[in-house]
Amino acid sequence: MQEILVYIALGLAIGFLVKKYFFKSKKKKNCDSDCGC
Amino acid sequence: MEVNAVVKIALVGNPNTGKTSLFNQLTGLKQKVGNYPGITVDKKVGKCKISEALIAEIIDLPGTYSINPTTLDESIVLDTLLNKSNESYPDLVIVVAEVENLKRNLLLFSQIKDLELPTLLVINMADQMARKGISFDLEKLKEELNSEIILVSARKNSGIDELKNEIRNFKKWNTKPMASISSKIDEEYFKVVKNTFPEFSLYKSWLLITQQNNCNFLSPEFQQKLSVLNADKEKIKKYQHKETIFRYQIINDILHKTYVINRNEATEFRFKLDKILTHKIFGYLIFASVLLLIFQSIFEWASIPMDLIDGFFANFSEYAKANLPEGIFTNLIAEGIIPGIGGIVIFIPQIAILFLFISVLEETGYMSRVVFLMDKIMRKFGMSGKSVIPLISGTACAIPAIMASRNIGSWKERLITILVIPFTTCSARLPVYAILIALIIPNKRILGIFNLQGLTLMGLYLLGFTAAILSAILLHNVLKIENKSLFVIEMPNYKLPSLKNVFYEVVEKTKAFIVGAGKIILALSIVLWFLASNGGESFKTANDTVKQDIGNQNLTKVELQKKTASFKLEHSYIGVMGKMIEPVIKPLGYDWKIGIALISSFAAREVFVGALATIYSVESEGEDVGTIKERMGAEVNSITGQKRFNLPTGMSLLMFYAFAMQCIGTLAIVKRETKSWKWPILQLVGMGILAYISALITFNFFS
Repeated sequence: MQEILVYIALGLAIGFLVKKYFFKSKKKKNCDSDCGC
Repeated sequence: MEVNAVVKIALVGNPNTGKTSLFNQLTGLKQKVGNYPGITVDKKVGKCKISEALIAEIIDLPGTYSINPTTLDESIVLDTLLNKSNESYPDLVIVVAEVENLKRNLLLFSQIKDLELPTLLVINMADQMARKGISFDLEKLKEELNSEIILVSARKNSGIDELKNEIRNFKKWNTKPMASISSKIDEEYFKVVKNTFPEFSLYKSWLLITQQNNCNFLSPEFQQKLSVLNADKEKIKKYQHKETIFRYQIINDILHKTYVINRNEATEFRFKLDKILTHKIFGYLIFASVLLLIFQSIFEWASIPMDLIDGFFANFSEYAKANLPEGIFTNLIAEGIIPGIGGIVIFIPQIAILFLFISVLEETGYMSRVVFLMDKIMRKFGMSGKSVIPLISGTACAIPAIMASRNIGSWKERLITILVIPFTTCSARLPVYAILIALIIPNKRILGIFNLQGLTLMGLYLLGFTAAILSAILLHNVLKIENKSLFVIEMPNYKLPSLKNVFYEVVEKTKAFIVGAGKIILALSIVLWFLASNGGESFKTANDTVKQDIGNQNLTKVELQKKTASFKLEHSYIGVMGKMIEPVIKPLGYDWKIGIALISSFAAREVFVGALATIYSVESEGEDVGTIKERMGAEVNSITGQKRFNLPTGMSLLMFYAFAMQCIGTLAIVKRETKSWKWPILQLVGMGILAYISALITFNFFS
């Protein structure tokens, strides 16, 4: 069970990093910069 | 169900008139405000309930002195007000003026009024009128300007209800133009203009003629008509000058009849204070003292809360390990996630203190004096006084700082500013500096007052600024771009900082840093933990190999565990990767574990501490993990037997982080602002080479 949880966490972490650095994120409204939005 | 009507309101005004404060009051949003020009470089949108049946969509536009744009951010105003297909094209315009500089503010008002849009004049900072000896005949002024006027104090939230009441009546506002330009410039020419574009107000047509290059939204046929009318460039320029002079004549006449300003003691005090703060010797000494105070405080005030946070995460990690069911997910939480997050949360006190000082300096008006003071120096280096604002903003984050460079008119000065901003010490470098300084610089006092660690931190900030300036000189001489610029800065009044603004600024900036960096660090901690806790065949047979290696040696259970954990880490996936890059970083004094943290932090610098915390945490499997600082302090170089983070390695790392371009976000924004990959690649490679060489020299110097 713990092993499954680790792989889920790892998958989510890799997914997040790939999305953050390799795909263009949609710019939120009302943001004047990419910091803090 | 009742459907609310929505009106679009454009908020326009000169820089530093308190537009953003008013926007915040109306919308309840918390956009950054400051007491220096150029805070708003892009438009922001917020909603405001005007009445039960009326909702306003408020668009806060960048500050501009005139509707004729000279910079990129000013052209946003022109496009919004002229282009009907622009999604922000307003139903009405609120021009925000400031009570003390009404004459200059009215130039922009007169231009917008002549567009024949429903326009309201809001005079901000009205609470300061009595103190400044200002009085005016409001009714007469309304009559002369053909406009309703509302007095407000956005910072004190006064006059906002009156403003909302007035907005409800916007359909009744007088939309007559304020100045009839045609008769004063060239009646015949303007008759032709009127006949060519009968559907537009005369002033809108005139603006389209003069600003054709900034109006990309026009059809080719329309552009053709404009080209005929503005073919004689010299004549157009002459008419523009005439127009400005004519407008100022009208404004002077109106203010002469309605507005009185008496210099009082408060103004005298401001004048005297300005003389000291911008003095060619005292000005710089005061600025240096302010910087010294900031960096001393960062170390002095933050040490106790930082120790508490560090201790909390160490205990939390142990608690998780002891109380959660045994297994690898528990290991992930205790050795990966908790130390990784602890590696960023620990820096909240220092980051909050830095933002507290920056915010107070902006709010009081001192930052504008610094800009003025630095202008003379900056010009010699190919930048302008306006470059100081982005450079100072860069101490928080390079990304908004690069965007803030939009208000620099000259492309060459702007490009140089964009390219050198990443040298300034951003808040992401602070965690790296703070932990390394704490490890290698003794916590002692110099002359009984100055904390040595604080002085070192200040030295690193100055190093960043020096690197920025030296690079600017180099770029100024290398870049063959024609350059002409004019520097005008308004000296805002001194103000007591608004506690609310300072509080929001500190909370928002700290939160943005922690949440933004925290997500990346959490994800990277999981990945790093996995790579450090798994490996190939030699990793799997580590227990047997270590037992064979030690043979008949008598080791305690703890010693055996430590040796096995160390062997496993070295043969884990991350260990193998680290070993591959070790030859490149060894000359700088780093081992493969530092190398892994270094590579992880290429995405974002602040990841460095969290990555090391995770790696050391995996290695200390089964032991009392201790705080991040303790773990890093206890790490030993297996070859020399000395502490891993000693003076040569620590200084080498400080140099590397001072110069290396380790921020993907910044590279992306440089590409966006320069519209080319050439410049971010130049930054990445140039700064990387500089970082490597500096770290190499530093390591050898201190060894």
